[in-house]
Amino acid sequence: MCVAPIDRIRAGLSVLPALLLCIGTLGAAGTGGATDLPPLSHRLTVIEAPAPAPPLRLEDIDGVEHDLADLKGRLVLVNFWATWCPPCRREMPSMERLYQQFKERGLTILAVDVGEDMDTVFAFTGQLDPAPTFPLLLDTDSRAAQDWSVKGLPTSFVVDPEGRVIIRAVGGTEFDDAAAVEQLLPFLPKP
Amino acid sequence: MRFIPQNGPNGTHSCRLSVPYAAAAAAVVAVLVGPTISAEPVRVDPETGAATYETQAQGVSLSLTQLLPDQVRAFYVARGFDLADADVFAEACVYMTVLRNDTAPGTLDFRLSDWEVQHSEEVRSLPPLDDWLAQWAARGVPDSARLAFRWAQFPSEQSYAPGEWNQGMMATGLPPGSRFDLIARWRIADQTYEGRLDDVRCTD
Repeated sequence: MCVAPIDRIRAGLSVLPALLLCIGTLGAAGTGGATDLPPLSHRLTVIEAPAPAPPLRLEDIDGVEHDLADLKGRLVLVNFWATWCPPCRREMPSMERLYQQFKERGLTILAVDVGEDMDTVFAFTGQLDPAPTFPLLLDTDSRAAQDWSVKGLPTSFVVDPEGRVIIRAVGGTEFDDAAAVEQLLPFLPKP
Repeated sequence: MRFIPQNGPNGTHSCRLSVPYAAAAAAVVAVLVGPTISAEPVRVDPETGAATYETQAQGVSLSLTQLLPDQVRAFYVARGFDLADADVFAEACVYMTVLRNDTAPGTLDFRLSDWEVQHSEEVRSLPPLDDWLAQWAARGVPDSARLAFRWAQFPSEQSYAPGEWNQGMMATGLPPGSRFDLIARWRIADQTYEGRLDDVRCTD
């Protein structure tokens, strides 16, 4: 139920508990049940003419800078997301499972939060199961999202060990689904 | 809901038909369109009463779920809008919109500027994102809040390969209580398609 917050706003009361419920409702598109959520995609889009990835150099929520240019030789999943974006939240646990499965084989994940601050993102991560262990970068002015021609969230790209964008995924995706993993496996660095 | 192929690779193909072919084509379209019927929502949230209107055809699915004014206000106030500013958008009949290319035979391309709403015999375009952003700037909405607004909207244009999709907010600009038809358009393999959701209700 999501009708209480505005009354609480007018009354000067905390809106956080109600907002969490509200965002959940927005996430379910007002349908009231998980079974009604739009299904996550199970496939990735292979880019026919791979091009060099745009630059990506951002700080994570711990203030550590990450530069995509330093990750040559690894397969990198770059995910643009936001905490309020329902499919972004739904796909993130699958990214963590994928990361745990393949990080030793050369997979890196950079999850780029678009337009939010550190406190918002940090507070959100505690709600995820499993919680992400890959870097959560902050694109506070959405400049990176624009540089990567992102038009909607979530949008993800896979950058091959040579630094080319080879795969795209627009919309929430179950990244550790067998079909998606099968598409990624050939591009992992050779041992 | 009706899906109607509009034209061929040249975009003006139907205009070049001779009269007999045009008559035949018109008859085919009429069959495809069929009589206008009032759409019933496929789901109604038992708690909020928000209705979902949905259709699937030719490998593409489209759905609208109304976001009630209080939901919209709460979302944007939490992202830095003043209540008065959030009210402006909340009262514009806002829908969570999902468009996905499930199994269409190619990449789907759309521009929201090609979509229309039909309301009280009048056909109008959807309010463009840039107009909303200009309004927020004029009203002094903070940069961070405007950024949140921009990214929470259904994309103004997008391409979906099979399997790709988005969801986002889309305002019709109509007053609460309105009933309208949504006319959505997209292109796949140089063919324009039109999908309609008829008699969508905007609860106030």
